[in-house]
Amino acid sequence: MSCRTLSTEPWPCAMDASKNRFFQLLEALVRHEVEFVIVGGVAALLEGAPILTLDLDIVHRQTPENIERLLRALEKIHARYRDPAGRLILPNADRLSTNRFNLLLTDLGALDILGDLGEGLAYEELAGRTHDYEMAGIRVRALDLQTLIEVKERVGRDKDRAVLPVLRQTLRLKTGEPASPEEPPDE
Amino acid sequence: MERQSSERGEESPALDIAPDGVDLGLIRWMLSLTPLERLDVLQDFVDGALALRDGRVQE
Repeated sequence: MSCRTLSTEPWPCAMDASKNRFFQLLEALVRHEVEFVIVGGVAALLEGAPILTLDLDIVHRQTPENIERLLRALEKIHARYRDPAGRLILPNADRLSTNRFNLLLTDLGALDILGDLGEGLAYEELAGRTHDYEMAGIRVRALDLQTLIEVKERVGRDKDRAVLPVLRQTLRLKTGEPASPEEPPDE
Repeated sequence: MERQSSERGEESPALDIAPDGVDLGLIRWMLSLTPLERLDVLQDFVDGALALRDGRVQE
């Protein structure tokens, strides 16, 4: 089966959730009742922006109970830190409750677990600025496009600024806003 | 005249590109997909990119 097509050529989508590793990663977290918000490129993609990424970024709720559930999920998918020195470093409660960046490799691909998005934007602040998505029996929350844009404008790194035009145009098409001749400056 | 040109495939394709260079056609296509289909596009991209990397001829 193919996804609906961009042109006359079918996009070779598998359309089988069980074979999609991004879905499987999300499913592993949901099945263990982890409280998290999808951020970054996958959130942008779910919101409809044609953004491609190699990893799944999430912000997790940093309560002891949630970190315990998260650790159980991570154990199932053999998560370990992407250590440049090649050391085997496993996530633990201390690291997941204090590290801002937990850049992991799992059996299902790269998973970045973030404590916050900077300037106090932790799970509690982000949870109210999300859209829910139901896919093949699981329900997940992704940061909404407006907030994604605001965060990337605020962070202002080159990699964040690079995707802003696509995010802004996607939001414009979704909301039906007319095109403006000039984009606001990134800074 | 125009019709003949179109039948011969000589008509220029319309561009769906914003003034800032963003491909609006890609966005419209992505918005037409379900969330799971969007994840499948992403997965296909990752698989394809990794296959290309693995296929690189070593110098």
